[in-house]
Amino acid sequence: MENDRIRRVLPQNVRLALSRDALEDSYIQELRLRVDKPLLMIYDGHERMIGSQRDGPYLVTKEDVREMLEYVSNFSLYAYEQEMKQGFITIEGGHRVGITGQAIIENGRVKNLRHISSINLRMSHEAVGCADPVFPYITREGRLLHTLIVSPPGCGKTTLLRDMIRQISDGNRWIRGMAVGVVDERSEIGGCYRGVAQNQLGMRTDILDGCPKAEGMNMLIRSMSPAVLAVDEIGSAEDVHAIEHAMHCGCRMLATIHADSMEELRRKPIIDRMVAEKRFERYILLGKRERVGQISGLFDSRGSLLYSDAMSAPC
Amino acid sequence: MKTIGGILVIAATSLWGHIAAEKVGNGYKELQYLQKLLYLLRGEILYARSYLGEAFLQIGRTAKSPYREWLLSLCRQMEEERGRTFAGMWEESVRASLKDSGLSDRELQRLAAFGNQLGIADAQMQIKTLDLYLEEIKLSMEEMREEMRTKMRLCHCLGVMSGIFITVLLM
Repeated sequence: MENDRIRRVLPQNVRLALSRDALEDSYIQELRLRVDKPLLMIYDGHERMIGSQRDGPYLVTKEDVREMLEYVSNFSLYAYEQEMKQGFITIEGGHRVGITGQAIIENGRVKNLRHISSINLRMSHEAVGCADPVFPYITREGRLLHTLIVSPPGCGKTTLLRDMIRQISDGNRWIRGMAVGVVDERSEIGGCYRGVAQNQLGMRTDILDGCPKAEGMNMLIRSMSPAVLAVDEIGSAEDVHAIEHAMHCGCRMLATIHADSMEELRRKPIIDRMVAEKRFERYILLGKRERVGQISGLFDSRGSLLYSDAMSAPC
Repeated sequence: MKTIGGILVIAATSLWGHIAAEKVGNGYKELQYLQKLLYLLRGEILYARSYLGEAFLQIGRTAKSPYREWLLSLCRQMEEERGRTFAGMWEESVRASLKDSGLSDRELQRLAAFGNQLGIADAQMQIKTLDLYLEEIKLSMEEMREEMRTKMRLCHCLGVMSGIFITVLLM
């Protein structure tokens, strides 16, 4: 693996096992380490077992998991307490490290995790230009429409959001460059390292890293007067309230949410009201039937289909 | 001639006594400085939630030598070296960088062992562990302070007296 950022968090033995295979960085999507189980990788959309023909698959040890946890947390687990509660840590470059183990409960809520048994490293990929097809539909007379990206996990919603932020910030043929405020609660959009975004987010982007979405949106409105506000993975009542507040303040909204389809989105508690009230003017539904990041449909506030990758694909 | 020789011997042994007394005082001052650094680390963890490498870099930049070299090299090791535990790196760096710092062997040993308790717990637990170590340092300093005056006076006296003794013997 050439990617140094990722290699730095891998245990030595895993690094060695991976180096035996000729792998192309850009095709690695996930790496799964489970104690006493084979090391698995999602490579170019397919699962792949790591190991040699002679010795069989590489079996992950407890020591590997402990070592990786030390690297992921920069030898400072206490600094990632909040992230551990949520079950994942975002590392430099915006890559997400999911963790499972035994939950420690306090006052009925997860306080921390211990006896970590599985680690899932999900690579963040920058796909510059992937938002090109959506711009004619999410802008009107040089104005950005409130847009919600709807997608199941692993279909590239953060990648699309990131490219949309970059293009809006820098400006393109559909829209002039404008100030974009990003609340990056999980450090996935900007992949911030020591507060500085490692991914390309454009020259007019202000990023609030590691801050809860609802609070962050209000802070940005007060402090940076953004023309556009972007947030990832909304879902709670506080998020919805903050989005409505931002819309009333004159900010254009860009957000993402987990859902399989528009029907599921309409059935989602709290969000259903926003859909019914037509708060968002455009919905971009992503899928991965043919490829990751495929636009299954781009809808207006009434649910009418405006665009899909299938419509533009050659016959 | 004899008188001049005697004065020189007494001066030399007095100087030796003075240096020995200084050394006793230095151990205390170094421990006091280490305590200050650990309070800074406590603040970095408690208020900035800095991870250890970040905190060492921050504190190391303004620390005096050899603590500066110790913290900065530890930070560099954490960034660059893989395949080693934090406790191992900490212990090795304490022994390599602070052996001439003036801290007593007992304090160095305790500091080297403290690495085992860093970075492994949640923030609350980490602060409590640090507080416990700081309390131990405080107790050590109290002990040292009590002994220090007697020891320093003894060193001064021994220096002068041994000089007089040698002079008498030579005469």
